[in-house]
Amino acid sequence: MTATSARKSLPARLKALLPLLLLLPLALPFVADNPYYFGLICRVLVYAMLVASLDLVVGYIGDVSIGHAGFFAIGAYAVAVLTAQPALNGDAAITWFPMVPFPVALIPAVLLAALAGLVLGFPALRSTGPYLAVITIAYGFIIFTVINESETITNGTRGISLPALEFAGKKLRGANYLFVVYPVLVLVLFAVRNVARSFWGRAFEAIKYSAVAAACAGISRTRFKLSAFVLSAALAGLAGGFFAQLDSYVAPNTFSYNFSIEFLIALIFGGVRSVAGNLIGAGVIVVLPDLFASFSDYRLMVFGTLLLVVLFFLPEGLAGVVRKLVRRLTKSDLEAARLALAARAAGLAPIEAPPPSDLPALQLDGLTMMFGGLTAVNELSLKLGAGRVLGLIGPNGSGKSTTVNLLTGVYLPTRGTLSIFGEDLTRMQTFERASRGIARTFQNLQLFGQLTALENVLAGMHRSFKSSLLQVALRTPAARREEEAAQAHAYALLDFVGLGAQAYELASNLAYGQARRLEIARALAQRPRLLLLDEPAAGLTTAEIEEISHLIGRIKQSGITVLLIEHHMDMVMAVSDDVVVLDFGKKIAEGLPQGIQSNPAVIEAYLGSHPTARAAGAGEGAPL
Amino acid sequence: MQTLQLLLSGLAQGLIYALLAFGYNVTFATSRTFNFALGTYLTFGGVVGVVLYMNHGVPFPLVLLAVLLCGALGGFILEKVAIQPSLKTRSSYNWILATLAVGIVLRNAIEVFWSTDDFKLRSPIGDDPLRFDGVGIFPQEILIILSTVAIVVAVEVFKQKTIFGKAVQAVSEDRDTASLMGINQGYVIRVSFMLSSAMACFAGLLVGPVTLVSATMGTVLGVKAYAVSIIGGLESSYGVLVGGALLGLSESLTARYISTGYRDIPGFILLILVLLLRPSGLFGRATVQKF
Repeated sequence: MTATSARKSLPARLKALLPLLLLLPLALPFVADNPYYFGLICRVLVYAMLVASLDLVVGYIGDVSIGHAGFFAIGAYAVAVLTAQPALNGDAAITWFPMVPFPVALIPAVLLAALAGLVLGFPALRSTGPYLAVITIAYGFIIFTVINESETITNGTRGISLPALEFAGKKLRGANYLFVVYPVLVLVLFAVRNVARSFWGRAFEAIKYSAVAAACAGISRTRFKLSAFVLSAALAGLAGGFFAQLDSYVAPNTFSYNFSIEFLIALIFGGVRSVAGNLIGAGVIVVLPDLFASFSDYRLMVFGTLLLVVLFFLPEGLAGVVRKLVRRLTKSDLEAARLALAARAAGLAPIEAPPPSDLPALQLDGLTMMFGGLTAVNELSLKLGAGRVLGLIGPNGSGKSTTVNLLTGVYLPTRGTLSIFGEDLTRMQTFERASRGIARTFQNLQLFGQLTALENVLAGMHRSFKSSLLQVALRTPAARREEEAAQAHAYALLDFVGLGAQAYELASNLAYGQARRLEIARALAQRPRLLLLDEPAAGLTTAEIEEISHLIGRIKQSGITVLLIEHHMDMVMAVSDDVVVLDFGKKIAEGLPQGIQSNPAVIEAYLGSHPTARAAGAGEGAPL
Repeated sequence: MQTLQLLLSGLAQGLIYALLAFGYNVTFATSRTFNFALGTYLTFGGVVGVVLYMNHGVPFPLVLLAVLLCGALGGFILEKVAIQPSLKTRSSYNWILATLAVGIVLRNAIEVFWSTDDFKLRSPIGDDPLRFDGVGIFPQEILIILSTVAIVVAVEVFKQKTIFGKAVQAVSEDRDTASLMGINQGYVIRVSFMLSSAMACFAGLLVGPVTLVSATMGTVLGVKAYAVSIIGGLESSYGVLVGGALLGLSESLTARYISTGYRDIPGFILLILVLLLRPSGLFGRATVQKF
């Protein structure tokens, strides 16, 4: 974000020339010829690819992988086995020498690693945290053992020697290998950065910060988590392929458990979620041990200590420090960027009216949810006409939130059916319901904390993005236009809920009332036909409640059906067309707001049946 | 008859995993974190044992005491530099990385300041196998099995019966509420880490006579102990005994009947299968999240 806006403040002509700087390193071999240093540089570049691949899983998905050496090994060995020649491996146990050209061998290297990533992805769907970390370790060990033991293919512990690459009669070793690795690295980092900043990256992070909110926004956890693991493994495999050619030799001992840990260290040093950080991290672990020859014995002690320091004192890594410096030097102006976005958003309609319908927006028939012996929702039936606002009230524990969770598919009902606009959704998965026009907010906020307000709304718009992964990775004009249009629309929505000024603020930095409104904006971004508001006024001040009431009124005007779950009677009575009252999971009353307030069953449910309590209940508008 | 020997040494090996795995469980119960470097603490215990018992001829009870103290001190330091700051950041994975970091520092220090070679550690109760009817049994293996079971049972009884044990359980259920009830949660967590590390160092002393003591002896042991801990369920004490036995036996059987090179594989595959079917382990509790 900052980098782009910083660039915009430079004259446009200069800006267009900036990418040419990327060609500069290719001139290096013409001005210097120390093969040793070029070896180091190439190593940094190959390792940076691996660190970037690790970042996809650790930084974006938020799962620690201690098994990436395994994917790297698969890539390296695929290339080694496929390109090895008998002449260089005279006394080897290898019986199979396909002798495929290097570029061709890269294809199975990437595909095999991707397949391994897919296999790892499945347990990752079920386990997280320490459980998943241990699974990744197990994967690393299994891959390591298989390579070590399959002597007839991999030559076991003795490893495989490879011929140097040749191009037009020149050996691509030392300095010349830079011509091979550098363009690939640039392309890879460019693609990773583009994907990370697109709706793909937002989907990854949405899953990380709140899996349930992501699903309710229509983001399939299965699809994106598996994709992240597959992409990451494929990239690690590619890096491994280039690694095989780096030393023209591979042996299993390289790809140990410690190797995985060293790369985690590199990632954290450099800083997660940043391609610059990936490069810096790779640089640190390659160059530091090299600077001091005797240091290599102590290397892990120093790395370990540095890791602790970076973890607790520089949570954004070295790239974070660099970013801050650059921001200060270029005086990049977020406010100017925001105003430019506001100008583009001006005049956009924040909410597109849903098509009118005669079918009921929501219909529940005998919906029942039991947790063990507890019946949280008991035979609930109701019908909500399109375009109306229904208030669902009831004392604590009466089953209101369970109802919302049933409607969005977070729970599946024990019995009964539910349909919206005539379509039965009873058994449909959460993320699919989003496509049927259901959106919700959460009683206990489920914002994507480390994304900006704008990005939160954009994550809500996830389903409206149509670009393919390839288009996104290459940042084609179509993908760029789509993203820009979406940003403008997201800004319009933020403006609609009164958060335009906070567009670039991290969601976790918003005040409580602002966070509640951001949840509503994110839900509206899904273009819902039915909006479920789960206690949108909880914890707000009277003035803020007024604002929310007003906001619900405007949402209703735009034709969206609203199911409002709330404790604040004033608010429910003011904005609802109909009210349904739950108690112990059962519907005890329904009707117009005025009728409900004097309904004896309702008063009893809220206040008990003591005579004085009943008298108090008659006092209208008490915030029950 | 050979099978019996095989099963017994598999069981002994498995219970070493179990003891280390129990070390993970003890701290997971109090802080929802554990020491990913516990394997290195095992190494540390073995090294202290070799230095005192073999090189300096210190009497075994004193060696034992020294090893336990070193472990407790190591746990204290780890908790200070890796766990406390991680719990403050409330990041979901900082503690994993921070404890890994302490582990590689410690292992590297052992390599640099001690040695990278393998050393023999004599068993305090004799290295000659006891002969029963043609079956040779190493006394150290019996010692491993008995001490591990005794430790797990003792800690479990302590947890159920004493007030400190109740405090541990309270902290494990809900740190913040426990602290409102006047339980010093920081203290409970610190003690759990000291206990866990002392157990790991003791495990090093136990396993040393069976294997050899070297700077890297704990790495793979530590990893397999994660597997055991997770197969058994991070919250189940007796689960680790079952998980450890399963893993140890699967290894010795694979090594005997398939290939030594593949001995680690069945355990890891078992781990992955268990987590696919039961994401919180064989004996773990599933938690329900509320929205």
